Amino acid sequence: MIKQEILLGNGAIALGLVESGCQIVTSYPGTPSSEILPEVVRFVKSEKLDTYVEWSTNEKVALDTAFAAAITGKRAACCMKQVGLNVAADSLMSAAYIGTVGGLVIISCDDPGPHSSQTEQDTRFMARLAKVPVLDPSDPQEAREMVGLAMDISEEFRIPVILRPAIRVCHARQNISFGPIKKNNQKASFEKNPQRWAATPRFRLILHGELNKKLKEIGKKFENLSQYNFHNLESGIKYPLGIVAGGIPYSVIRDFLSEENRTDIPVLKIGAPYPFPESLAIEFMSACERVLVTEETDTLIEYLLRDREKVMGRLSGHVPPEGELVPHVIHTLINNVLEELNLEPFQADDDHEAVQLVKDLQLPVRRPTLCPGCPERAAFFAIRKTRPKAIFTSDIGCYTLGLNLGAVDTVLDMGAAITMASGFYHSFAQDSIEQPIVATIGDSTFFHSGTAGLLNAVYNGSRFILVILDNQTTAMTGMQPTPALGIRADGSEGKAIPLERIVAGCGVDFIEVVDPYNIKKTTSLLKKAVTYVEDPKGGMAVIIARHPCVIAYPDKAIPHKKKVTITDDCIECNFCLDRFECPALFHDTELGRVNINRELCVDCGVCIQVCPKGAIVEA
Amino acid sequence: METINIILSGLGGQGILFMTRVLAQAALDKGFNVMGAETHGMAQRGGSVVSHLRLGEAKSSLVMTGTAHFLLSLEENEGYRNLPFLSQGARMYVNTHSKHFPREKAKGLLDKRNIIYHSISAATIAQELGAPRSSNLALLGYFSAFNEGPIGYKDIKTTIDRISPKKLKDINLKVFEAGYKRGKNTKK
Repeated sequence: MIKQEILLGNGAIALGLVESGCQIVTSYPGTPSSEILPEVVRFVKSEKLDTYVEWSTNEKVALDTAFAAAITGKRAACCMKQVGLNVAADSLMSAAYIGTVGGLVIISCDDPGPHSSQTEQDTRFMARLAKVPVLDPSDPQEAREMVGLAMDISEEFRIPVILRPAIRVCHARQNISFGPIKKNNQKASFEKNPQRWAATPRFRLILHGELNKKLKEIGKKFENLSQYNFHNLESGIKYPLGIVAGGIPYSVIRDFLSEENRTDIPVLKIGAPYPFPESLAIEFMSACERVLVTEETDTLIEYLLRDREKVMGRLSGHVPPEGELVPHVIHTLINNVLEELNLEPFQADDDHEAVQLVKDLQLPVRRPTLCPGCPERAAFFAIRKTRPKAIFTSDIGCYTLGLNLGAVDTVLDMGAAITMASGFYHSFAQDSIEQPIVATIGDSTFFHSGTAGLLNAVYNGSRFILVILDNQTTAMTGMQPTPALGIRADGSEGKAIPLERIVAGCGVDFIEVVDPYNIKKTTSLLKKAVTYVEDPKGGMAVIIARHPCVIAYPDKAIPHKKKVTITDDCIECNFCLDRFECPALFHDTELGRVNINRELCVDCGVCIQVCPKGAIVEA
Repeated sequence: METINIILSGLGGQGILFMTRVLAQAALDKGFNVMGAETHGMAQRGGSVVSHLRLGEAKSSLVMTGTAHFLLSLEENEGYRNLPFLSQGARMYVNTHSKHFPREKAKGLLDKRNIIYHSISAATIAQELGAPRSSNLALLGYFSAFNEGPIGYKDIKTTIDRISPKKLKDINLKVFEAGYKRGKNTKK
């Protein structure tokens, strides 16, 4: 029976995976990719499939695992965000040379904007670097279909294939029809062939040659991949302007051209940009006097178009070199090009007055903040109170928002709270300066890439305090379980691995666990850690600040609700607002004191410990 | 038929994603093709959140500025922030306590562009019914009372009944009804 559901783009990708007979799916959560694996789990359960799914500890682990599955002849996939592919890059580069037996699809989700990432990097360039094919969908339905194509190409040519959906594909919603899903019964087998699976450099050269041959063949296929690489030129006509578009910009431009009834501007859609369909591009270019390239997020297609005189894009300054290509940006840049070429412009957008009005209204900037009741807020408050002069290295997750409390100074990449703290320590130690350093890292981030840094810190004699903010979930990306919980991606039981054991295994001798809701206890423990770190016989100190996330475990996080009120002892010093920054506390100008927003307050009662005047009390 | 564009805005945690899901599902059940864009991740932590919803034959999930027919905002300032999306003659429904809605500065532009605006204290309604986090449903109910879009009161109600989590279904419907009644009274 065919049914119809409104799926998130990531749900459509998950559907494509199970429809393609994918038997192994691995992932590490990261916006905008996080919903793919849970959606796979949903389909696996509803369609009674036996697909193996796992939340891997990081993206490299996810790719290695899926790669091995693919060389047993099974169909496998791994899903991650674009910066996750950096972590898995070592695996990707090598896997491209070695090749696969079954299908291997790598889904790497880009974040033009960026909305929730540290860079706007373009996965298509990673594909080019690794020499693997890449597909670039324009909407959820296309992403779903492309998963199947990617799997087929991967299996046919024995090469990993990347699907690169951008955030507007991942987090778009679209109605999608689908029927029953068949189970793939491919059995695992492994044929020993060390010259391939464990190739030494001499054989790597041969493998590189094989890879180049594969790319040539796939390139021919992409020239004729008429459902994703196509144009709408009419033969014999010369056009003053043509548009080359891939991914989301293609969808936006197609809407514009149909709304404006513009048949005078042909479009070359490139849904499979690498290996590049060069003949198709030459055909298009030769019919157009000028060509505008719109792609996200970088300049892959633009670089690959040879006739530089004709091309307008980021390199020529016609397309903004950073930021997301949202509709009004594309509208404006096309109109600028039309004007430059003396062509009829699009209908003017009349939003300027409204844009000006929004500026004039001076609306408050809504910076993201830690949730009311968040245990990380309490931990950060205690850390800053105890070590006001410290350098605060931190990491990637909700707790990056410790920035707002002045308790986060650096964020580089996953795990860098610990490694950068080591770098700071040795830099100051070299000058005989005792610089206090407090590193903060979340539990999931610690599992992802904390151990290598911690081992290194202990081994090389770093001295700093590491606070592991253990809220017992991967909160930022939507509450995925961590290895400490003993719950696996499909909800089944796994072996729980306590953080304490890992930290001890890294050689740390000072390990303490505290509930950060108890600020006094946390503070005294931090002081104890300071003494230990500064003691010549001491070393690295690790504090595990353990309290459940208020969103993931609302009942467990606040077992005893404390209704809080503010007395007239409040002297409007705003200490609580600046240093504790709970969204439920605000300065009430009418009352002339701090007040509580009942809509937001979750009755955690932690702020009672914060007020220097004791004006925040239990009601 | 022309694509119908809807913008839903507010702050992270106010339930914009659920509101979007309800409208999208109700539209699909009426035979529309549905395309939409949502905010997930970092921005959801109390920051500005906006959903785009397009009913019809749109290919892009994002609404172009100046082309939205409806704006439903769970917070007044977030409503203003998304004004550039509204087309001439659009409808705007805002959750606010303020008796001075819309702000004087905004009123001129709204009137000039024939934008019809309504405000409701959806938060108060939700709070009075003991569900302070359900302002989104009160606003949906209020919106449905005006019956100006392609999806009306009954469509939305049926969808809420169908897609609400079991635990929340009764209260969701109750808050939705209360919002609807408020809208009916305003309309009179």
